[in-house]
Amino acid sequence: MATKNVLDTVAKKFVQIGLPEDLFKKNRFNLLVDRNKVIVRYPAPGVRSEVVETPTGVKTKVYVEPGTKLEEPVTLCFGAAETTEVQTTEGEIVVGEGADVKFQVYGAMAEGIKLKHKNKLKVRVEKNARFEFLDLHYNGEETFVELETETDAYVGENAYFRSVFKQTRGRAGKVRIVLKATVDKKGVAVFETKMIGKRDDEIYVEDVIHLNGEESRGISKSRIIAVDETKATFVGETYGNAPKCRGHIDCSEVIRGKDVTVKAVPVVVVNDETAKVTHEAAIGSIDKKQLETLMARGLTEDEAVDVIVQGMLR
Amino acid sequence: MTPLLTINNVKLTIDGRPILRGVNLIVNEGEIHAVLGPNGAGKSTLASLIMGINDLRAPDSGEIIFRDKLVNGLEITERAKLGITLAWQEPARFEGITVEEYLKLSGRNNPELDVVECLNLVGLDCSYLNRFVDDTLSGGERKRVELASVLAMRPKLAVLDEPDSGIDFASMEDIANMIKTMRDRGTTVLMITHREEIAEIADRATLMCDGKVVQTGNPKEVGQKFKTMCVKCEVRNPELVGGE
Repeated sequence: MATKNVLDTVAKKFVQIGLPEDLFKKNRFNLLVDRNKVIVRYPAPGVRSEVVETPTGVKTKVYVEPGTKLEEPVTLCFGAAETTEVQTTEGEIVVGEGADVKFQVYGAMAEGIKLKHKNKLKVRVEKNARFEFLDLHYNGEETFVELETETDAYVGENAYFRSVFKQTRGRAGKVRIVLKATVDKKGVAVFETKMIGKRDDEIYVEDVIHLNGEESRGISKSRIIAVDETKATFVGETYGNAPKCRGHIDCSEVIRGKDVTVKAVPVVVVNDETAKVTHEAAIGSIDKKQLETLMARGLTEDEAVDVIVQGMLR
Repeated sequence: MTPLLTINNVKLTIDGRPILRGVNLIVNEGEIHAVLGPNGAGKSTLASLIMGINDLRAPDSGEIIFRDKLVNGLEITERAKLGITLAWQEPARFEGITVEEYLKLSGRNNPELDVVECLNLVGLDCSYLNRFVDDTLSGGERKRVELASVLAMRPKLAVLDEPDSGIDFASMEDIANMIKTMRDRGTTVLMITHREEIAEIADRATLMCDGKVVQTGNPKEVGQKFKTMCVKCEVRNPELVGGE
């Protein structure tokens, strides 16, 4: 574990790029990692974990005991306060039967640093459990991160899994996000991705949901704002493989700038006559009526765009 | 009576089709002024020209004068800063913006802003503050929130485009009272409608037909003329019935 001085230095750099100061003041973290060093580790009730430092990052195993119900989220932060060539994080999370927990995860890459971040996560949400994984990324405006992250989830019978990836501040960098879920009987998987790309950022998001259980549900939702010369691609695949399963892909991408390239690829496959999978995709500039409404209330065009974009990324 | 808005011989052609054919209209400060007319009369186009929306910044000819200032060519925000606003017939929906945030944005220059009171005046309670201004609101609820946002802004001139559309009959009195409250608080109201019942709350009314003003005066008389003349006219001239 690090000294208080190290923690203060990390806190200063992460707060500078937008992490809430209260997280540090009130000592909210259950796990805080800077590059490959564990800075804070504090257990949460009903949650067992193993954390191993590796030459380039950390490996974690988390087991939420069956029936555990937590009011407060388990709070984790994986970040880099200084430039390093590569940071790798590997994780495995098992949420036991009937548990109900939320993980609040912060990805923090300090102002001006450059690095490659690779993340692999396996999630297993057991029968009747409920698990929310909120992954909030904070980068500096001059930070450049090449992020590759892959999540592979199994959602058990009557279980609920929601994964939210948000990067709404600073530069996105070069990002590749792959989220996969296999959903069992009456299970629900919800993937939400909300990102803003600026300058020559490259964003690739791929959601794949296999609805394998009867009456299972899947929602894949993306909101990407592409500015300047950003290239953004969203691929949403949902497979309705079981009776009465329901899936929906909802993709909305907003372009701001003549050199933006944006692509949306919904793939909808149904292998059962009682299954139903739908999709909606919209790519375009900011909705004119929304813009004019806010301008008619006295906002400038730039202010109105900002309000609309921040609303979409919420 | 002091004129707040003067529409002076305004003409506009869109795609070769004359929409406004020399409209003259004066809206006096402190009044509720209803503009009645059948579909295709040019009412909503006139509203768009006053606010500068839908790429209609200026007419082909004629003047739109607000408090002695020519507004032809001004941007929407500049018009709003002069004190003009508009409530859309079908208001926009906003993802991720709550009713409270929307009302606070609308009323950010109103030092006496009370968002709960604004909601109450349109028949909604404070439980709506945390609702999103998106598809989760019904058409009628969204319409009420739009009118609440005009109350929040407290403009000098509110152009209300069909404030009664999407509102159930039983709630019409709420909306009528809200419009009167708007006026009593210092906002002049220009109300576009094709229902003479709602026009009756106005202090004065204007009847438009086929891009021209037919009559301005007492709302009951104008409403009567609308009922007797324009409805028959619509039947006789079905080409007049269409989008505005």
